[in-house]
Amino acid sequence: MSRGSRSGARSRPRNPSRAWLEAQATAIRPWHRRALGCGLIVAVATLVQMGGLAWIVAHAVIAGQGIAELWPVLLVVGLALVLRAAAQWGQEVSGQACGLTVKREVRAQLLAKLHALGPVRLASRHSAGIASQLVDQVESLEGYYARFRPQVMLALLVPLLYLVVVLWLNWLAAIWLLIAAPLIPLFMALIGMGAQRLNEAQFRAVTRLSGHFLDRVRGITTLQLFGLGERATAEVSDVAHDYRRRSMRTLRVAFLSSAVLEFFAAVSVAVVAIYIGLGLLGYIDYGPAGELDLFSGLFILLLAPEFFQPLRTLSQHYHDRASALGAAEGLMALLDEPVPVPATDSASAQAPSGAMTAAVELEAVELSHVGRQRVLGPLSLRVESGEVVALVGPSGSGKSSLLQLIAGFVAADRGRVAVTPGPAIAWLDQRPLIIQGTLAENLRLVAPTASDAALRSALEEAGLGAWLRAAKGGLDTPLGERGVGLSGGEGQRLALARVFLSPARLVLLDEPTAALDPETERAVVTALQRLAATGRTLLVATHHPALMAMADRVLALDGGRLVSAPGTLWQEVPIS
Amino acid sequence: MRSLAIRLTDLYRSLRPWLAVLGARRGRLWLGAALMLATLVSALGLLSLSGWFITATAVAALSVPVFFDVFAPGSGVRAFAVARTASRYLERLYNHDTVLRLLADLRGGVFARLVRLDARTLSRARAAQWLNRLTADIDTLDNLYLRLLAPPLVALVAILGFALFAMLFLPAAGWLLLALLLPLWLALTLGCALWGWRASHRRVDRQEALRVRAVEQVEGLAELTAYAALETHLDHWRAEEQGLIADQRQLGQRTAAANALTTLVIQLAAVGVLGLGLAALSSGVLSGAVMVMLTLGTLAVAEGLGGLPMAFTQLGATQRAAERLNAQTALTPEQEGESLQSGGAAPSLAYRDVGLRQGPRWVLRGIDLALAPGQIVGVIGASGSGKSTLAQLAVRAFDPDVGELRFDDHVVAELAPDSLRARIGYLTQRSELFHDTLAANLRMGDPTASDAQLWAVLEQVDLYDWAEALPQGLQTWVGEQGRQLSGGQARRVALARVMLRNSPLVILDEPLSGLDAATAQVVRAALSRWLAGRTALLLAHESAALPGCDSSWRLVSDAGGATLQKI
Repeated sequence: MSRGSRSGARSRPRNPSRAWLEAQATAIRPWHRRALGCGLIVAVATLVQMGGLAWIVAHAVIAGQGIAELWPVLLVVGLALVLRAAAQWGQEVSGQACGLTVKREVRAQLLAKLHALGPVRLASRHSAGIASQLVDQVESLEGYYARFRPQVMLALLVPLLYLVVVLWLNWLAAIWLLIAAPLIPLFMALIGMGAQRLNEAQFRAVTRLSGHFLDRVRGITTLQLFGLGERATAEVSDVAHDYRRRSMRTLRVAFLSSAVLEFFAAVSVAVVAIYIGLGLLGYIDYGPAGELDLFSGLFILLLAPEFFQPLRTLSQHYHDRASALGAAEGLMALLDEPVPVPATDSASAQAPSGAMTAAVELEAVELSHVGRQRVLGPLSLRVESGEVVALVGPSGSGKSSLLQLIAGFVAADRGRVAVTPGPAIAWLDQRPLIIQGTLAENLRLVAPTASDAALRSALEEAGLGAWLRAAKGGLDTPLGERGVGLSGGEGQRLALARVFLSPARLVLLDEPTAALDPETERAVVTALQRLAATGRTLLVATHHPALMAMADRVLALDGGRLVSAPGTLWQEVPIS
Repeated sequence: MRSLAIRLTDLYRSLRPWLAVLGARRGRLWLGAALMLATLVSALGLLSLSGWFITATAVAALSVPVFFDVFAPGSGVRAFAVARTASRYLERLYNHDTVLRLLADLRGGVFARLVRLDARTLSRARAAQWLNRLTADIDTLDNLYLRLLAPPLVALVAILGFALFAMLFLPAAGWLLLALLLPLWLALTLGCALWGWRASHRRVDRQEALRVRAVEQVEGLAELTAYAALETHLDHWRAEEQGLIADQRQLGQRTAAANALTTLVIQLAAVGVLGLGLAALSSGVLSGAVMVMLTLGTLAVAEGLGGLPMAFTQLGATQRAAERLNAQTALTPEQEGESLQSGGAAPSLAYRDVGLRQGPRWVLRGIDLALAPGQIVGVIGASGSGKSTLAQLAVRAFDPDVGELRFDDHVVAELAPDSLRARIGYLTQRSELFHDTLAANLRMGDPTASDAQLWAVLEQVDLYDWAEALPQGLQTWVGEQGRQLSGGQARRVALARVMLRNSPLVILDEPLSGLDAATAQVVRAALSRWLAGRTALLLAHESAALPGCDSSWRLVSDAGGATLQKI
């Protein structure tokens, strides 16, 4: 970049959202060109059609020719308008292909980004907000690529084409058109700037709105119990009315821009019509007015609205641009979020120590969450392959953070984390993931090629055997978001079945028995013992004596540090 | 034909309640449509009068010098120009405001209905689905007036009006216009609706499925990442996305085809009118100026038809959205009853031979349990044995199929749920926290509580030190569903909220779950003090997980439903 352009960029910084939108357009160049080409064909066909109409009228009215002489021109007009309709179809379809392609690619980028950010960083975000970004905000990019972007070029080229023709017919009429035309982009730019700012605000409002809704709807039972139903309804209504006021502010400006354009277009057509009329009557001596005849006059009149049409269409699509820019800002914020350097140094293979291999090794690791005190460390830990380790400690002592660190969801601020590379890590926390789909689909997430028999045996081992036999649909029983049809304990056991099914050697369990009754719990503990017997490494954060008893080693955490030296036996705290 | 009749009936049935909502603002809607018509008439007037003017002047110039009044038509042209701009701006502003007003009212109304639904009905739908109903479905309904009702009506009036106007000068031209434009109007409305029906109907569900998948990706990222199962889940995502894109492509192509048809038919009509005009001109029936006026006017009719294809190919989506909103509003709960005096001393609570069915299966059967005022009763049972159901019966989340519950001497099923719940502090099994500050979550228990009261209750649940160490203290945001807190912290915040409520009857479902032994000790002791003088029903999977009780029962499940046994 040259010095000059850089200083220019500093005084009037190029809008980053616009740059981002342009960057997404590289893959759609062929379709974009096709849309432009079709747009130009429409313009030329329109020109032929209007010229033909004017010719027919002039020759009929002035020269008194009838349909017998004029039919070939009529035929040309007919062909031109068939071409025009076909090209118009081509332009719309090509534009749409642009929009669909970009949407798919941006969604892929966003998903990749979410995966890179990892679960811990996403925990503070509203999943409904992100879902709305992934689905609805991306949806609002379509219009920009499908309609607005091709129209920008057409709004420049097509009026130019018509202007040349009008100039050739009568230069003074061309000047009438020219006077109005440059004012239009100026006004639109001024108004567009305001519209964009409002649009951004509106997008933030929509994201907040959907987050607010989902949150309140999820907690509707709690709202009922606390007698807050009416207050929450009023709140929802207020938020919705606030959304209306915001929308109206945006729309008022957006409509004003098209009104300005309409005004100039209409006044120009009127001025041209009056000029031609007076010129034909011979009331105007100045310039080429005397050369006007019915053909040129009518042709100009027919072209005058067409001259403004591409600009009017552009202004109708202006809100596509504004909403795309508004969406781009939110999407960029997500895409630009810094991704932590992977903490898990899985590449560094561990030297075997004795007969055992370390499955996990932490060295002087420290971890803190943004805006919080240090949650973990300094802490060193070595877990041998095949070992069962229980992590205990008061809630908030850092047990979950330690597991997240080992799973690679968060990066340590200091120290080294090494995990023996494997196909996967089995994970189970207090909020098991239940996807919309069948029971089998839920299980096959972790083992896509598992046989039905393998699924059944995994369910059996997780203590869901009886449930499966009672379920009418068997493995095809549909499950919904947050496990409709499954109680808390059953959801937990489904997640446990995934552990059994998965080929993972390292198993991280965050309070796996928190929601289970003693009976199920005993079954789960037995199952976990079977799991350990297969040589898998288990790290379990738990309060439960039964699980502590099962462990080879119990580690106590407090304030993010190990308080009992690794290897010491845990003194069981009596529960009552 | 039969499918057409069925779809139209479906459409009318789904839209009827919403048409009724529109009807409440009839005045605004007619004014909006009138503004729309004014805009179209100005556009028609501008182009036809200009054409007439130019041709008339050319003819006048050719003939012997005669007086030609240029001022009347000239100012007419200018007036139409200004009127078109002004009416269009006003129309768009006014109509959008109307629609957003309707939508804001609708949202509040839909939520109000949700809040009144009972627990059983609520558990049938999933959270993301409710959200979608509240936002996207209601938004889709804005199509109804602004795109689906007023524009086709205005276009029809314009077509008929202009054809009649043409008939005054040249009947054949008028008939030609009717013959071409009325079928076009039908094709753009009814035709497009049928053509896009299936894809647009499906699109609504697919878009929602995609949202659900997105929520799964975010909420289940820990499991998916650890298991290296992202690709597998992405396959589900891609399947939904492909389907959505295929539908959108089909709808786009069909809309484009309908738009091209509009251009073709309108322009053909103009050429046809011109042809008829030429014939009439040579026979001297029609003047050249009028011929041009009718031709250009025909071209201007296109302006009224432009928005129809897009709106009507999406009619299926509107119908689907309405259908789903209807399904939800049809679930009106029947829960009404006399209201209970608020405040007061510790009440008694009694279950008398209570039985509850879920589908064909008995969940509870023959439950007899009496809590005297001030008595603390524990119920122990395995997960899924029906403990929570026992609690839900007490707050009238639903009514028993057999037997009755009594609150003092009132039958619970005859009490208004709100007034009943106002006297009960109920800690649900799941700690339901809101995406708000710690203080706001606590104040749900008592909106008037002072900061000092909040700190005092945090002290009781052993969260004082933790909250004090937070940089933002009580103003810390707890994250979606309290995710910024650990499970044990969330549990205690939920418990603190119930304690703030200070109710005479307390139901605690697993109050100490997720707490480590040391914290559990502290909280148990605080609970024992706090429960003194209140009637309490305590539920847990083992008695060790509860504060001391005056009496304890075990809930034992068997094939015929769970029953109580005295311990």
